[in-house]
Amino acid sequence: MEKIISIMGWETAKMIAGLVGVLVFVVLNALILTWAERKVAGHMQRRIGPKEVGPYGLIQPIADAIKLLGKEILTPGEVDKPLYWLAPILIFVPVLVSFIVIPFDASLQVKDINVGILVILAFSSLTVLSILMAGWGSNNKYALIGAIRSVAQNIAYEIPLLLALLPVIMMTHSFSLKAIVEAQRGLWFVFVQPLAFCIYFITSVAETNRTPFDLPEAESELVAGYHTEYSGMRFALFFLAEYTNIFIVSAIAVTFFLGGYQGPFLPGIVWFLLKSYFLVFVIMWLRWTYPRVRFDQLLNLSWKALIPLAFLNLLVTGGLLKI
Amino acid sequence: MVEKIKEELSSAIEGVEIKEANYRERGYHLFAEVASSDLLNVARFFDERGFYLAALICVDYVEYLDLVYIFSNHASLCKVKVALKIDPARPVAPTISMVFDCAYWYEREIREFYGVLFDGHPNLTYLFLHEGIDAYPLRKEKIPVSDEDKKALGAFRPEEGEDTFFVNLGPQHPSTHGVLRVVLKMDGEYIQSAEPVLGYLHRMHEKMAENRSYLQFLPNTGRMDYLGPMSFNLGYVTAVERLCGIAVPDRAHVVRVIATELNRLSSHLLWLGAYLADLGALTPFLFVFDDREQINDILEAVTGSRLTYCYFRFGGLYNDVDEAFIAGTRAFIERMRSRFSLYDKLVGGNVIFINRTRGIGVIERERARKYAVSGPVLRGAGIPMDMRKTEPCAAYGGMDFNVPVGTRGDALDMYHVRVLEMENALKIIEQALAQLPEGPIMTEKVPRKLKPPKGDLYHTVETPRGELGIYIVSDESDKPYRMKWRVPSFSNLMIFPELAKGNLLADAVAILGSLDLVIPEIDR
Amino acid sequence: MTLSPSAFIRGAGSLLAGLGVTLKAFFQPVVTSQYPRQLLKISPRFRGHTKLLADAEDPGKNGCIACGICVRNCPSGSIVRVEGEKREGEKRKTATTYILDFTTCSQCGICVETCPSDALGFSADFNLAGYKREDFVFDLVREFEKRKEAS
Repeated sequence: MEKIISIMGWETAKMIAGLVGVLVFVVLNALILTWAERKVAGHMQRRIGPKEVGPYGLIQPIADAIKLLGKEILTPGEVDKPLYWLAPILIFVPVLVSFIVIPFDASLQVKDINVGILVILAFSSLTVLSILMAGWGSNNKYALIGAIRSVAQNIAYEIPLLLALLPVIMMTHSFSLKAIVEAQRGLWFVFVQPLAFCIYFITSVAETNRTPFDLPEAESELVAGYHTEYSGMRFALFFLAEYTNIFIVSAIAVTFFLGGYQGPFLPGIVWFLLKSYFLVFVIMWLRWTYPRVRFDQLLNLSWKALIPLAFLNLLVTGGLLKI
Repeated sequence: MVEKIKEELSSAIEGVEIKEANYRERGYHLFAEVASSDLLNVARFFDERGFYLAALICVDYVEYLDLVYIFSNHASLCKVKVALKIDPARPVAPTISMVFDCAYWYEREIREFYGVLFDGHPNLTYLFLHEGIDAYPLRKEKIPVSDEDKKALGAFRPEEGEDTFFVNLGPQHPSTHGVLRVVLKMDGEYIQSAEPVLGYLHRMHEKMAENRSYLQFLPNTGRMDYLGPMSFNLGYVTAVERLCGIAVPDRAHVVRVIATELNRLSSHLLWLGAYLADLGALTPFLFVFDDREQINDILEAVTGSRLTYCYFRFGGLYNDVDEAFIAGTRAFIERMRSRFSLYDKLVGGNVIFINRTRGIGVIERERARKYAVSGPVLRGAGIPMDMRKTEPCAAYGGMDFNVPVGTRGDALDMYHVRVLEMENALKIIEQALAQLPEGPIMTEKVPRKLKPPKGDLYHTVETPRGELGIYIVSDESDKPYRMKWRVPSFSNLMIFPELAKGNLLADAVAILGSLDLVIPEIDR
Repeated sequence: MTLSPSAFIRGAGSLLAGLGVTLKAFFQPVVTSQYPRQLLKISPRFRGHTKLLADAEDPGKNGCIACGICVRNCPSGSIVRVEGEKREGEKRKTATTYILDFTTCSQCGICVETCPSDALGFSADFNLAGYKREDFVFDLVREFEKRKEAS
């Protein structure tokens, strides 16, 4: 063991251990979130969610995973094979890269890149690409309509996302996530920038394609949107990517606005996870309460409401910082 | 009104003989027999005076085919039956679809079931049936469909366009409320044309009616509209009682009202849940089922069924209600009143819901009249017509309730009209429970084999979806000679292609949901 | 989407009201019952498949007199065959075979109503299951005998 570390160097060893940890965490997170979503949905609808498989249905996600793995890997006839096969794999790349720079605790960060947030934002734009590949490669009208909607939606909501994060970056003079968390020692940024927090939260719900912005997979209109033609493990990959994405955006919100891993008594990572999962609960809560927003209303909301507000916020912040 | 129409019609069109009919026995006030050449003028006459085409029925009296047009009025009660005799060997009649748009589908249905050619109709193709059917189903003798007729009937081909593509909405679809297929021609996200394709659930109830006695047909009525079966039951039972002149005890009248209003409430609740599920909110669907379970339990304790009730009988009810029913219903009314604020907070006041439904699918009054729209859709469009007020049956005459009317005619107005109707239903049930008299529930002398006197009857009833019209022709035997069911969803669906044109797909789904269709009653 | 501030506040307020409803429901007890571990009470008037009732005077015999009225009146033709015989010293026929094809029965109750000797009633069997269609062709006389032995 020491021989391997002495060959590679301490930094590389730490990074490899971190990557393995991240992969394990991603899988665990997906399992927990599938169970939590069904339980939260159940209780909000005055019923119990899963209960048969294991106590309180805790083993349900594993049963689902085994079922999905056991399905036939079916490729429809006329699909564009390279696009169709690559899409579910490619949708995971952005989320995994984003995990590298998130500070779970003061010392639990795979690599503290000094342009951390830029890495996350740049890679999260790639999710759009893989959705478009899935929609086009499926050779199916419903999938295509869903993919087109998703592209327009993601592009429209990237801008307010950026604009909502910029004031925080301006206040801390740094892109590094660790520095942003450390800068919240005295006061969390949510009290200084409440509007930015709201805008960021709304746009992140839109970025992850969750209700009320879930037109790309509008079940009652388009069967299943861009993942109509996927079944079995490929569908599971889309599903897992969505849940991991939800966790990532909550983690970023916690890092930027809610003080990251800071908090009294309990170790940092516990606070981080508590805060992140609370925001994940809020995202699920939104899904089970609201109907879907129509497509043109969605774009209007972004271009005519969120972007001007975010710009205003940015200007005011910039002005106040100069004084 | 009746006198005025009689005078004006006899002076406007010469050679037309108008007779007054006994409204109590026949269901219409005036009866006119016209020739083919006068039909279009008669239709225009009624169109100018604000009538709508309630039903278009064809009856096969082997020596001739009788086309029966029933014209009715929104403003005051006046029903006119216009009959046209045509030759069974070469059945041809002029079309009136350019005057009354609802005749467009009524005539297509008669074309494929009877073989009547309508001159000038733009599109006489299959509506319910398909190429495999070799004989005209509703004719009394087996008359085969000739090859050229089959070709003419099967000629529907969607036209391809340059930047457009076709999307099938259905027949398996979470939002079409049954097996309905709509062929949408889309240009990107916008719909250029919508063509519904029916017949996926066609079970030939009207033919079954000709082969079963009146009592044997009773279970079929619940299967036609399985969300509002009590009202279909009520319509059928009161129609046959009217035809035979059977009186019903008062207790039975009041219990019939209670059961029908509970069913109306349950049907509107389901509409609410399903409509929001279409729009993307899945939680109200389950809240609604919670309330419906209470209604189902109450009605199961009385009738024994939870969905397709067969509770009313000719002359009264199947069995009596007891104290537990009355106490349970009262408790349910209390609980339901407190649930309305919950639905208002979760659904009615929600800004996303309001933005999805305001200004969507606006129906103007003229269009509503031309398409013979009825029920909450008609009231949402601004016309305050409710069959329970104009032609009350059972104990509705003694009930005090108002008729909610919308102002804009959009989907949000339909929502508000239905919520107000739910509150009305609670009010009516309370009044009925207070009025419930003691006494028998069944008249004594109902013959085992019902043989109604010769004649025809057009009877209407208000179902949760609109005006249900039952046209029975009796030839003194114990089986009906012809029974036609004029269902509200059929004419309500006809307005959908026009409303969907130029709209987004999401809006089309919202419009389809606001019409509250139940496909089994369309397909019969 | 030009919004006045009051419309904006009203809209935001409606969204929060909706959230409040679901949060309240989240903490309330469930309204579902966990079938099959919790069985519900079946109302006595529930319409399961029909069954033969005992004769009023002689509870050992079933009340059917094999007149065939129910066979003629059934709208779906679900009552396939009713046969009976007149035994020694008895005033009327007793049914020996009563075949009901439950796959086409619509539980309308016409047979129960029109029976002149009130021999038919509804059972409370709602969780029937079988592997083939023939599992649902019942011989009501045999069911009656089985119930008699069981009690």
